[in-house]
Amino acid sequence: MNPRLQVMVPAEAEQLRGLPLFSGIPEKARDKVIEKVRKYIHVVAFSPGDVVLREGEYSDSAYCIVEGAVEIVLSAAGEAARPEVRGGAHVPPPQRAGARPEAEGMVGRGRGTGGTVILSAMPADVVPGQRTILEAGEIFGEIGALSRYPVSATVRAETPLTLLRIRLPGLRMLLAASKEFRKFLDERYRERTLARHLRSVALFEKVDDEFVERVKEKAELLSFEPGQVIVEEGSPADSFYLVRGGYVKVSVRAGSSDLAVTYLRKGDYAGEAALLLDEAWPFTLQALEHVEIVRIGKADFKALSGRYPHLEESLWAEMVARLKLRGAAVRNPVSSEYLQMAMDTGLIHGESVLLIDLSTCTRCDECVRGCADAHGGEPRFIREGQKYRHWLVPTACYQCTDPVCMVDCPTGAITRSVGTLEVTINEPTCIGCGNCAQRCPWNNIIMVERGEKRPDGKPVELATKCDLCLDRPEGPACVQMCPHGSAVRISFKDLERVTATLR
Amino acid sequence: MRFSQVLRPKEPGNARGAAVASAVLVVVFVAGAAVWPWSPKRGLGLFFGLLAAALFIFEMAYPFRRPKARPLRTAKAWAQAHVYLGALALLAVLIHAGFRLPKGGLGWALLLLSLWTTASGLIGVWLQKWIPAALAEGLHVEALYERIPALMEKLAGEADALMAGADEVGERFYRTEVRPSLSRPNPSWAFLLDVRASRDRALEPFRRVAEFVDPAQKALIDDLMSIYTEKIELDAHYSLQGILRRWLVFHVPTAGLLMGLLAVHVFAWAWY
Repeated sequence: MNPRLQVMVPAEAEQLRGLPLFSGIPEKARDKVIEKVRKYIHVVAFSPGDVVLREGEYSDSAYCIVEGAVEIVLSAAGEAARPEVRGGAHVPPPQRAGARPEAEGMVGRGRGTGGTVILSAMPADVVPGQRTILEAGEIFGEIGALSRYPVSATVRAETPLTLLRIRLPGLRMLLAASKEFRKFLDERYRERTLARHLRSVALFEKVDDEFVERVKEKAELLSFEPGQVIVEEGSPADSFYLVRGGYVKVSVRAGSSDLAVTYLRKGDYAGEAALLLDEAWPFTLQALEHVEIVRIGKADFKALSGRYPHLEESLWAEMVARLKLRGAAVRNPVSSEYLQMAMDTGLIHGESVLLIDLSTCTRCDECVRGCADAHGGEPRFIREGQKYRHWLVPTACYQCTDPVCMVDCPTGAITRSVGTLEVTINEPTCIGCGNCAQRCPWNNIIMVERGEKRPDGKPVELATKCDLCLDRPEGPACVQMCPHGSAVRISFKDLERVTATLR
Repeated sequence: MRFSQVLRPKEPGNARGAAVASAVLVVVFVAGAAVWPWSPKRGLGLFFGLLAAALFIFEMAYPFRRPKARPLRTAKAWAQAHVYLGALALLAVLIHAGFRLPKGGLGWALLLLSLWTTASGLIGVWLQKWIPAALAEGLHVEALYERIPALMEKLAGEADALMAGADEVGERFYRTEVRPSLSRPNPSWAFLLDVRASRDRALEPFRRVAEFVDPAQKALIDDLMSIYTEKIELDAHYSLQGILRRWLVFHVPTAGLLMGLLAVHVFAWAWY
């Protein structure tokens, strides 16, 4: 059989039973767990030289090597050139190579993910420019999948290779069922990734290695299910929380309901009030989806941070900023309403969400024409979508912080350049498989017929999406060509702009 | 939206700038007319004529803002310049003529076309502010103009499926009172003044019929009323978006004619 046709087959229960992955599950429950998890686990075969994971892409799976070996390559040039912010943050022009200064005002000024250059858990020290080999029994890619970090190194089949591909729901089930597996992954995160994660957060940029080592010892790794309350407003503030994956709602009580104040995503932290004042939590923190958190107890953090005055200064500044947000939300519940809407509808995932003010939009379609002019006559968005108050959210790519559309592209046609905001599709490489369009939770990727036929007679369709007019120095045409200033692009993380724009 | 809100400029700075520029033009005219006898053919009178011609030429360049909106950076800046400089152009025309009525046929044609083009442009500005605000504030539905007929067809299909289970009274009401107007747009000018115009009257028969049917059928009538309400909102969109698309018919051709006559006027002045 042609090995390329044998790409992915569901794993057999018998095959899984013998793996060390499942050894931590109590024997009585093991068969049940395997049966539940099995649908998320596939056996994947690769020939030598095939790419399993490509650096910079996103993956929703962990891989366990059954037979053969893989080579991990971390590009030396890529490592050196890698800017501080990765994963879709909008970097202000002076910091960003090839940035478009004229376009700044037209793109959302999202604060971004505050640095997400994480070497996702590779079970070995990966040195840029050097080959690292992993053999049977090793697991890789789990941190990228759980916390939605881009893949940090290219993984290639070194020999004929058989892998178990464990998709995210299966990985979560395994974590819930096996304390041993959770402990194993937590330890690996603590050993290999936590230090880099800490360093990527502006607050900990200047701390020394000793501080990081101590945090690694003291930190507790926690997971929360969607909707679970992490801390309740008014409860004793006894910890510092660093978000390592997922989205957390920050809200305050207002009568019988609550007002959304902001949200936290990977790299963001909370609990500064606990460290500076002996007061109760001024906010409620609630998981909006699966959330992974690093928790450091108040006493430990105080002991650790005593030697770094700048740390305390930053925490004070952050606390003041948060209290200002709290005040703004209470004074102006409308902005809180918009934020809540963004949380409910998923707009918070967007780094640059196109919104149209229907109270000034004359429906002239100049935005669509401008988009078409910029893309060879073919617009990349549809002026139709959800309406909230007097704002329309058209069918246009949000440029998500964690672009799930990038998971599973077989040719790597859909990419996001390091340090940029735009997720783009390289048309010559796109084979029209539609994986990205199916994965986009908002249906913002559209398959367009190209006027050619496949050998089976079906029309050739390629994926198209908004690329924020990457080639236009003037910025996105939809915003620039609106004669009434009704089209705006925002990130809901930029609360100042949200409040000023969405009234 | 209140009328006063429509009069509020989008960019107050531009409005202030245009007001100052207008005041300067009038002051120059008053000062010039006090010193020399005013003539459109020479001196300041000629200058204002040339200024008006230059502004009209700029106005005609509006369609060329695409695809990059250069050199004004954004299409919004172009639109603002088009509106305010257009108004200044009319003022320059009036000053050029010394605020006197023209004598010849060409002069009258130029004056009337300038007035008409400017007035139709300002009405367009009013419509472009009034209609979007009315649609956004008064209606729940949002629709692309081109897709409205298809959406109405879809609504009619939904209503047909819904009322297939209706009793005799409901079925007769649907067939005679509702279905005929459900599948095609019914545009009306009344929506321009009140975007929810005649909605209560249109929905009153539904409420009356609901009183005469049994409770199970009442739910059907309520659902039908929701579909019909959506249809009325689509009618409002169709009417008002249609107006937004068509008002240019009253503006652009006369602007073109004005430019033609302006060319004749300039040529005549240069030749003779």
